[in-house]
Amino acid sequence: MNRKFEARLINAGLVCSVILVLVFFYIPIFTLIMFSFKEGRILNLPFEGWSLRWYQQLFSNGEVGKAAVHSFVVAVASTLISTVIGLGAAQSFVRFSFRGKTLFQIVAMAPLVFPQLLLGVVLLLWFSVLGNTFDFSNNLFTAIMGHCVYLVPFTTIIIAVQAASFDPTLEQAAQDFGATPWEVFREVTFPVLWPGVFSASIFAFLLSWGNFYISYSLTGTERTLPTFVFSGMALGSTPLYPALATITFVVGLLLIVFAEGIRRRSLAKTMASPKE
Amino acid sequence: MSHSLEPSRLMVALHALPSVLLQSAFFVVPLCMTIALSFQETQYYQVQWVWSLTTWTEIFTTYYYWKILFNTVLMSLACVGLCAMIGFPIAYALVTRFQKWQATIKILLVFAFLTDAVLKTFGWVVFLDQTGPANFVLNFLGLPDLPDWVIYSRVSVLFGMVYTLLPFSIFTIYLSVDMIDKNLLRAAYDCGASKFRAFYEVTLPLCKNGLMAGALLVFVLSLGSFLEPKVLGGGKNPMAAELIRQTFETRINWPLGSALTIVVISITVITILLASRLLDLGQGRKK
Amino acid sequence: MPKDICTIQGVIKNYGNFRALHGIDLHVQKGEFIALVGPSGSGKSTLLQIISGFEAPSEGRLLIDGVDMTDVAPADRPTSMVFQKLALFPHKTIAENIGFPLKLRKVPKAEIAKRTREMLDLMELKPEYLNRYPAQLSGGEQQRVALARSMISHPKLLLLDEPLSALDVKLKKVLQTELKRLHRSLGVTFIHVTHDLEEAMMLADHICVMQNGLLLQVGTPDDIYYRPTHRFVAEFIGETNLFPVKAGQNGSYEIEELPGARGVSSFGGEGVQSDTAYLMVRPEFLHLAAPDHDLDVTIDIVVSETFNHGSTTQVKAVTREGNHIITLEIQGHLDEAVDIGAHLTVGWHDTDTHLFARTADKMEFAA
Repeated sequence: MNRKFEARLINAGLVCSVILVLVFFYIPIFTLIMFSFKEGRILNLPFEGWSLRWYQQLFSNGEVGKAAVHSFVVAVASTLISTVIGLGAAQSFVRFSFRGKTLFQIVAMAPLVFPQLLLGVVLLLWFSVLGNTFDFSNNLFTAIMGHCVYLVPFTTIIIAVQAASFDPTLEQAAQDFGATPWEVFREVTFPVLWPGVFSASIFAFLLSWGNFYISYSLTGTERTLPTFVFSGMALGSTPLYPALATITFVVGLLLIVFAEGIRRRSLAKTMASPKE
Repeated sequence: MSHSLEPSRLMVALHALPSVLLQSAFFVVPLCMTIALSFQETQYYQVQWVWSLTTWTEIFTTYYYWKILFNTVLMSLACVGLCAMIGFPIAYALVTRFQKWQATIKILLVFAFLTDAVLKTFGWVVFLDQTGPANFVLNFLGLPDLPDWVIYSRVSVLFGMVYTLLPFSIFTIYLSVDMIDKNLLRAAYDCGASKFRAFYEVTLPLCKNGLMAGALLVFVLSLGSFLEPKVLGGGKNPMAAELIRQTFETRINWPLGSALTIVVISITVITILLASRLLDLGQGRKK
Repeated sequence: MPKDICTIQGVIKNYGNFRALHGIDLHVQKGEFIALVGPSGSGKSTLLQIISGFEAPSEGRLLIDGVDMTDVAPADRPTSMVFQKLALFPHKTIAENIGFPLKLRKVPKAEIAKRTREMLDLMELKPEYLNRYPAQLSGGEQQRVALARSMISHPKLLLLDEPLSALDVKLKKVLQTELKRLHRSLGVTFIHVTHDLEEAMMLADHICVMQNGLLLQVGTPDDIYYRPTHRFVAEFIGETNLFPVKAGQNGSYEIEELPGARGVSSFGGEGVQSDTAYLMVRPEFLHLAAPDHDLDVTIDIVVSETFNHGSTTQVKAVTREGNHIITLEIQGHLDEAVDIGAHLTVGWHDTDTHLFARTADKMEFAA
């Protein structure tokens, strides 16, 4: 009796703590969503009324549009580059053994435990020196490179998890049936690793899209959405920013749900692979 | 005995080289250059390429820098403690409860983690504002406003840091708890252990490495916190990252900024080395 | 005499300082079903990898259908492999899996579809499986798909790398029967690697027993069971009784030590090139002494354990003198229950025994 009660108490405590943490995580997100529909221009309570005018303003604001385009370009480019590089690194991590592998692993993972702002600062110095020598200034390209350094460890880990369960005899079989190295990759290796590659790219895209720390140092005079919001926050802000945030949230959530759906579908198809 | 074909050198190079090149050109080399830069002089906001120890002498003799660094480490340690304390029960609950809702909760956590940090910090500012929802709810319940020491103070900075870094803690601990063979717990019960006892004797020791890894990650990343002290702290209690930013941006003193960066990175590296030593010891005992 | 489909000459394989194969010579004839048998680490899988081309021999030569295979890639060899874990592509449907070798050869789509259907019929798989994924099929069906995929390009040599080892006993039996039927109907040469000698005896025309990188014996299942040439081979399947013997006068052998044995004669050891040898008596050739049973050698034993095997009863016993362990197998149930500790007299006919050299032991240890 007493034991049962104790178990129930623990159960309730654990469940409640998860719910509380979820609430904690979503407070700022829901606060912004709520304020995006505010009629007045000051971000405080109480509401004078609800309106969609800030969304209208958002779509007619050229600055926002430009920042969004920049964010998109940087995110797409760095997602592509970091996913391709991460795929190679993950394969090297899991499948190959070669001299200097430990050093390779340490260097490849180091940016993960490197404070992002400092990474941005270090790269800012480097690009300034390079820029002085080769006569260029920071622009979207430098930001893309910075994002890639930050994203590759993430994509590598996610793809490596998928690669770890890869059965190498699949490749041997394809070879035995006459596949060239490229055909082995196209027909077997890549499709089997695809769920991992896909999650990695979604992860990379969202991390890049929302990245502030590196963009802050490396975009030069161009702005991405996070740096745009950061500079806007300082001046007495309007519900324009919450409206922008809300759109970002919705798109992000859709992307994640979509990715999860794809992952589950491929899992259902290929799970319980023929063994033991 | 492995029957896989030995990968050719070309194959290995094709896979590993892109990442090696990227990390060398945009991580290792810049880092080395930063170290070199910290040994240069500066004059009229211009770097003078003259080797000297001026900057380092300045750093080691200026109390102000050390105060900020100390404050940063202190805040980071507090953040680590909070994240571990909150993260562990959450990760544990995620693995052992919520069979049905687990996937959804994970998605919600991942989404919160992946969302733009600036927006989330901004959301907190709006929420905690004098005339924001926090006080509105408090007043509605008949309570007084949030006291001054809660907003634009160390408390709110720490709050923000925990908010940003908690997912790292939850994810790493989750992985280590999830990896524990459920039969081990059954075996413990079978030996007559109570639930508490089994948790203490089996679960906790087995996810120690996950806890340590999570703590390490949180510590290292919180050393670089910038948005939280700047936006939620109101600039009253600057932390290292903000100091470094200012040194570059306002004082335009590159050698000094580089040196401060190196100091923070050194703390990071030393912590990681110490932690990996500790983790190795733990594994050594297991074998 | 039929032509060799596969000739292995003095093949040695080194992994660094470790020698996995110590000079293997083997001739495989067209249409045969060959089994490579041995415990793990015996080199059987390495030999298969060398035949398939995934490993290159350190020394020696491999000919398939008379052609030297040294510089021929796995894909270009007329061999096809069925992998231990089957290696069905999880992201491809059954049709795509079976047709994959043809797709790589740029065979027209219609032709691929036709031949895939043929293979499906041959393997007795249902046509509605074509659009399913491997994970949606049972273990036995997956097995058949893997076989179909390997057979669709008409290889001259089908290599099977323990494809049955992961299955449960009942399914294994079904698929063994299937494999044998398939081998008969296709006429393709099979080389089957297994650690299970019983399986090899069931399936193969010739069995190659391997141990520590050496080919100990090649022979028919009967050779392996009744006429082993090594102690390892003799003890690899079932239980057996081995008595050390040594050379006596005029080329005959005598049992070294078996106190209490009556009627011990000397044994002619044709072909045994050694002073010391083993006399092997399989348990089923040990009979209970009875007046009407004219046994050549008899001995008194004390029963220490009995095992009911259904159609037979296995009896473990020790000799009354000298405590030698003896195993015998008796058809059906004993009329009178044999109690532990019961005293029996058993014996054998000399014609049921087999003699082989003992020097082989030393070779095994040197390996």
